[in-house]
Amino acid sequence: MYYPEPISKLIDSFTKLPGIGPKTAVRLAFFVLNMKEDDVLDFAKALVNAKRELTHCSTCGHITDQDPCSICSDGTRDESVICVVQDPKDVIAMEKMREFNGRYHVLHGTISPMDGIGPEDINVPPLIDRLKDEKVNELILATNPNVEGEATAMYISRLVKPSGIKISRIASGLPMGGDLEYADEVTLSKAMEGRREL
Amino acid sequence: MHIKDIKLTHYRNYEKLDLTFDHQVNVIIGENAQGKTNLMEAIYVLAFSKSYRTSKDKELINWDENYARIEGTVHKRARQFPLEMQFSAKGKKAKLNHLEQQRLSDYIGALNVVMFAPEDLNLVKGSPQIRRRFIDMEIGQIQPIYIYHLGQYQKIVKQRNHLLKQLQRRKTSDETMLDVLTDQLVEHARVIIAKRFIFLELLREAATGIHEGISQHSETLSIQYSTPLDVLESDSEEKIGKCLHETFKDNREKEIDRGSTLFGPHRDDLLFYVNDRDVQTYGSQGQQRTTALSLKLAEIELIKREVGEYPVLLLDDVLSELDRHRQSHLLDTIQGKVQTFVSTTSVSDIKHQTIEQAALFNVTSGTITKQK
Ligand SMILES: Nc1ncnc2c1ncn2[C@@H]1O[C@H](COP(=O)(O)OP(=O)(O)OP(=O)(O)O)[C@@H](O)[C@H]1O
Ligand SMILES: [Mg+2]
Ligand SMILES: [Zn+2]
Repeated sequence: MYYPEPISKLIDSFTKLPGIGPKTAVRLAFFVLNMKEDDVLDFAKALVNAKRELTHCSTCGHITDQDPCSICSDGTRDESVICVVQDPKDVIAMEKMREFNGRYHVLHGTISPMDGIGPEDINVPPLIDRLKDEKVNELILATNPNVEGEATAMYISRLVKPSGIKISRIASGLPMGGDLEYADEVTLSKAMEGRREL
Repeated sequence: MHIKDIKLTHYRNYEKLDLTFDHQVNVIIGENAQGKTNLMEAIYVLAFSKSYRTSKDKELINWDENYARIEGTVHKRARQFPLEMQFSAKGKKAKLNHLEQQRLSDYIGALNVVMFAPEDLNLVKGSPQIRRRFIDMEIGQIQPIYIYHLGQYQKIVKQRNHLLKQLQRRKTSDETMLDVLTDQLVEHARVIIAKRFIFLELLREAATGIHEGISQHSETLSIQYSTPLDVLESDSEEKIGKCLHETFKDNREKEIDRGSTLFGPHRDDLLFYVNDRDVQTYGSQGQQRTTALSLKLAEIELIKREVGEYPVLLLDDVLSELDRHRQSHLLDTIQGKVQTFVSTTSVSDIKHQTIEQAALFNVTSGTITKQK
């Protein structure tokens, strides 16, 4: 079908978002055309700023607009416990449940030989460094409960074990083979309670 | 159990189909390439959420459409419930009793189906893969958790093979990850092997009697699990796990050298013996067919034992491949007990009283009409 170029470009941009197919993209594009110009400008600015002003915290890897992030620089948080997660979204899910008062480490992925991703390709080496410097005595491994998440947790636990740091894995309450971000807050907080020592 | 009705939308060459079935024998009659196998396949997919003909779900969707749907009403244990499978570019959805199931292992097993197609006559002679699929599908529909373990196992094997290749080509030297994947692999492999052992014992019990019946007491069938692992069928899961760990430890160099996982359920096989001779190597074509038929009939009995009701049987083009004697043995066995779908190009190929009482359907290029 023929659209003027600015519209086809907009449609094309929308289809790059997850969960948006061609039909929805067309609907959103035409919706934007009918929005007030100021709103459209704010929207565009918000998009660009989110990308430009956010970086990764140099300590924990979480997304932030200041380095170190607000969690790492919060003195009231327990610096002896680190919860290791796969994704910034997992930090946000955990924070919502307000039960964990330690710090985080975001891996940005899992080890997956078939995708050519080794431990050094994700945020594992900085974690090991962090454990050397800081006064950490407990590590909670909260990677997703699927094959790769499990393997990544087991790998980290093998590396860290000799140091004597207590390691536990979020074990129960999470759907088998599911993703952490789908777990609702109740199951998540159950999972935190039921963590098992590795 | 039986399937009361089925609705197909954009499934292969069926634009739209809405059929009500007989709860005993249904015969689907049609020339070649009219849609007999497609209908059988749809019933199979409704039970297993995937086809046996292809691993690409996309092929199930009609060429001119962008989704396909199979809906069926199942009658099981005096209850009736709908099943639905839908395929589109976004993936597939499985609904049991109107509710979408997140895990396929929660869906599979609601409808039990046994399929017998000409390819199954190769069960004995064909590649080990065919026999592994046979055993995996059967255990899976009796114990859906088996499918979960199998799925995890296959993923881990894939990861482990990639890592072994990287170690082989010296792209990495990190053997810690190999230890991790080995631990993970063993965790599922031991469950799979233990469950196969239990299943095999049941299969043996059922199949040997049936084989004796078909061969009119001239043949004795025995079945063995073939594996390079040093395990016994009486071993516990723990013991199997220990053996796997030792095997992987002793063969680490060899596996890295080959860049592949050399041990585990994905490498094992089934061996069949008739009168103590290996049927695969020495059996006549007739003996191989009798063995395949005995195994299929045993499967039906096993599901009845484990699930409490007979499964639905699909006989796609297979009756005409069997001689009169085996044909009537098969039809005698299912008569009055098992809802059966038979496909054929001509009813006159089948000479048995069950066919006289059966519901007959004619297929021509994606439309089906019931014969009065
Ligand atoms: N995705 C699809 N969309 C449309 N048509 C398809 C699709 N896949 C297969 N077909 C067509 O469906 C037709 C019927 O195939 P089917 O295998 O059911 O035939 P059959 O009746 O079993 O024939 P035979 O007696 O030769 O086994 C074939 O002509 C095939 O080309
Ligand atoms: Mg066919
Ligand atoms: Zn931080």
